[in-house]
Amino acid sequence: MSELARFQTAFAEALTGDVAALAPWSGGPDAAPRLSVYRNTVAKGCADAVAAQFPTLVRVVGEAWLRDAAVLFARAHPPASPRLADYGAAFPDWLAAFPPAADLPWLPGLARLDWAWSEALFAADQPPLLADDFARLAPDAYASLAADLHPAARLLWFADGTPSLWRALQGEAAPAEAELSPEPQGLLVTRPDLEARHQLLSRGAFAFLEACRRGLSLAAAGEAALQAEPDLPLAATFADLIAAGAFARLRPPASP
Amino acid sequence: MRQGLTAGLSLKPPHVAEAVAARAEGLWFEVHPENYMAAGGPRLAGLAAVAERWPISLHGVGLSLAGDAPPDPDHLAALKRLVDRFQPALVSEHLAWSRHGATWLPDLLPFPRSRAALDRIADNVARLQDALGRPVLIENPALYLTLTGHELSETDLLIELVRRTGCGLLVDVNNAYVSGHNLGYSAEAYLDALPAEAVGEIHLAGHAADPRLGGELLIDSHDAPVAASVWRLYARLIARIGPRPTLIERDDKLPAFAALMAERDRAHGILTRQLAPEMDHV
Repeated sequence: MSELARFQTAFAEALTGDVAALAPWSGGPDAAPRLSVYRNTVAKGCADAVAAQFPTLVRVVGEAWLRDAAVLFARAHPPASPRLADYGAAFPDWLAAFPPAADLPWLPGLARLDWAWSEALFAADQPPLLADDFARLAPDAYASLAADLHPAARLLWFADGTPSLWRALQGEAAPAEAELSPEPQGLLVTRPDLEARHQLLSRGAFAFLEACRRGLSLAAAGEAALQAEPDLPLAATFADLIAAGAFARLRPPASP
Repeated sequence: MRQGLTAGLSLKPPHVAEAVAARAEGLWFEVHPENYMAAGGPRLAGLAAVAERWPISLHGVGLSLAGDAPPDPDHLAALKRLVDRFQPALVSEHLAWSRHGATWLPDLLPFPRSRAALDRIADNVARLQDALGRPVLIENPALYLTLTGHELSETDLLIELVRRTGCGLLVDVNNAYVSGHNLGYSAEAYLDALPAEAVGEIHLAGHAADPRLGGELLIDSHDAPVAASVWRLYARLIARIGPRPTLIERDDKLPAFAALMAERDRAHGILTRQLAPEMDHV
């Protein structure tokens, strides 16, 4: 190992608490507080990144709570890249096992929705398919074509009303008390242009998009949707998803 | 001065519309390319809108040039894509390291300035310049900790880096002030030792006293206006080397765009007053 590599390993150890590791290169009574400048900057960088990625959590638990949690998260999952907008994918699952969040069981779900929103913001730009693109299709084309989801589209399903709670928290007047309905719900995030948007998904609409994501034909996606939700107004639901900008491209379906 | 750039500002996403609409001679904007290494989206579109109007500088924080490894090839490729797309007037990086194995430490970390470290950094700077097909500027760090194991002064290391790689220097006057204060050397002497012809850009920023050690230790906090002492060093440097593109850096406690423009206009005034006598000789 080179001298530079030895130093950097010692410095990284000193940053995580073992100041003595740096003794061959730095000593004196104020080495520890001076090293803290670097430790604080590293912690601040991680906390800034997490606070930026999870704005709904900031609204619910407050910035100080979230930043403290982010610093603990960063010890277990330090960033792997300087692209800090990519940092925090593991945070929702980590929160689910974080004891101080145990009395906030919907917090990891809100975090997953924030992450999906952030992914949509940084996804590739692409014009979505429009209603006209589908109106042109012959009726039998629905069995021989699949619709790729738009690169910014994200769909999530929850066993409870977390999506409604998350949506309520996006408004200017956030609810004083988090209310969670026991009704299962999905959420679709899309960004057909530069502005991201979100809408609730019923069981059938979610099944439709999930089938599209798996590359099934539009006809098969429709069947999956009706199987999940027999009363689903299929044509209206499909039109609604097209209008949201959920689809990017038509192509032959994946072989089953 | 290079491409007519006088004083510029760090571009912050909340200021994009004002940046596009701004009117000021010599204005330019600088960003960290790492924040724009995305497939698409509004942040990238905001930079594109500003770049249509003003010269752009890409100021990297992600290559860990003083790390004991070559620059990450994926990161280099992503930087090259941004350089190709935005054709920045200036490209710069830091004399520091941040990567340790698979871990990214989001800070600009110090190292013992050994000859072996110089060899590694020179090799990394050369790889960066080869990948981009253009020279880059390397910035002096803010230092907090006294280290042993130095074989070169920081200015000698920078001068040698310029000689070996053909890179230029980004002189952060606030970093020079903060480091000189923290480690007990003269910032004036430090700046005087840097070769004028190598300096391609200057940074100015605010600093703050350390919350634990107080004024004994200054932090390069980028959360305050530029200090009077740093303005004095800046005017002195410009008087010696002539005008250079100068950036007002601000990352935290972001004030209104107009407040940043006022600081920027002050630097612009110093640069153009310096330029005026030169013009008399033309």
